[in-house]
Amino acid sequence: MPAHAGIGLRAQHHLEVLSESPKVAWFEAHSENYFAAGGARVQILDRIRERYPLSLHGVGLSLGSTDPLDAEHLANLRRAVERFEPQLVSEHLSWSSVGGRFANDLLPLPYTDEALRHVSARIAAVQDALGRQILIENVSSYLQFADSAMPEWEFLTAVAAHSGCGLLLDLNNIYVAAHNHRFDALEYLHAIPRGAVQEFHLAGHSRVRHGALELLIDTHSTAVCEAVWELYRAALRRFGAVPTLIEWDSQIPPLAELVAEADKANALEAQLHAHAA
Amino acid sequence: MPTLRELQTRVLGAVLDGEDAAELIRAGGLTPSERLEVYANNARINFTESLRLGYPVLLRLVGEAYFDQCARAYRMQCPSRSGDLHSAGAAFAAYLGELHTGGEHRYLADVAHLEWLCQESLMAAEHGRLDLARLAEVAPARYESLRFKLHPAARLFASDYPAREIWEANLATETEPPLIDLAKGGERLLLMRRGGRLEFHRLSPGEHAFLESLAAHAAFAAAVEKGAAAADAAAAFDAAAVLRRFVAAEAIVDFS
Repeated sequence: MPAHAGIGLRAQHHLEVLSESPKVAWFEAHSENYFAAGGARVQILDRIRERYPLSLHGVGLSLGSTDPLDAEHLANLRRAVERFEPQLVSEHLSWSSVGGRFANDLLPLPYTDEALRHVSARIAAVQDALGRQILIENVSSYLQFADSAMPEWEFLTAVAAHSGCGLLLDLNNIYVAAHNHRFDALEYLHAIPRGAVQEFHLAGHSRVRHGALELLIDTHSTAVCEAVWELYRAALRRFGAVPTLIEWDSQIPPLAELVAEADKANALEAQLHAHAA
Repeated sequence: MPTLRELQTRVLGAVLDGEDAAELIRAGGLTPSERLEVYANNARINFTESLRLGYPVLLRLVGEAYFDQCARAYRMQCPSRSGDLHSAGAAFAAYLGELHTGGEHRYLADVAHLEWLCQESLMAAEHGRLDLARLAEVAPARYESLRFKLHPAARLFASDYPAREIWEANLATETEPPLIDLAKGGERLLLMRRGGRLEFHRLSPGEHAFLESLAAHAAFAAAVEKGAAAADAAAAFDAAAVLRRFVAAEAIVDFS
């Protein structure tokens, strides 16, 4: 996967991507959107895949859940991985279901030894089933559990060490969580080992006021804000250039606007690279 | 300290059912219930949005407010059972049918059912044509016990209302849809996908019963019997002609 900026692939841009072949380094598709056994949608991704490197990014595996792994979901993911041969496959450090019922949202885990053992074993099981390494993404969060015994960055680092997964650092999620839980985003970045990070996500968020407090919500509905671009600079300095995704999947803008955001990420990377040389 | 299982059970109860899980959440700033409400709200929005994507024509017919109200009530009865939200709307048409039993809006459930079948058809697996040479090798004595297989994208539909006409008229978002007389009667349909596009074949009662029987894995003789029993009294059920028609339409694609 090229260490440049790619964009999230959305169905409304499918035909334009095929007809215009926009200049972006790669595309990331939500795995679940291409679970279909056949039909036009998966055929379009076949054609896009012929022209661009691809990452499959899952939102529904509920890796941290104490329910058994969903065998059907995993089989669908495996079929998609075999069909599209993505360079990267990723999922979230979160859970979404208990007793077969799903919230279909990315709920945070308590950062305890039990949760660490559990989610690491599940990630290892998924990697075994897919026959490849996957990347695990840190999520935005709006609550912390009273029983958490370590900070998120320590938990995330330990998950990578225990399971052998790579890390997908979502810089917007770090920014959102740092604001919501009042920690230092740079402390988070500097606690993550250099070699573990294989992808960055950049996205926009929204602000919701609760009385005197403002909560940041990870909505993916706007451009990347200046503070997150600043965090991206810090991440580039620490981890070097890795594939970077512009994630914008709600109130989706024209394709050209997404490409412009990716160009901006590439320009920042080139600037830092030139400066360092 | 609760186990991970206990914690997840209580937090999901708070997110989906509004139960209390305050003591599990770290204090400070917002209250625990305000924090949990962010997730509860996301869960509601994600569920409703998946239904809106799955039923765009129904959404257009009833408007956002009533659609969302139905979606919320449906979710209480049929919460999401998968990490893949695409399947969350599978029972929505049946739910609407119960909601409008006997009422003047009964047709809405049929339009919703048709929309869902269209989605299923568009996402189903590919399959080649029936191998006619292989069929020709079958001894006539075996015909009656053959089990024909429908294309994975084939779906059967029946309604007392002009559901397809309503569906088609409300697909476009720019134009004002025409008035359609609900009393004009319904139809039976075979949905197919060819070259990535949906195709609709009108079916006689006999053809519909015959294909439904094949779809339920009945043997050829039993399916012909069902077809003949359902056929209009005026028209005899010509099993060979019906078989040829649906093989040509690539709806019947295999046998065993």
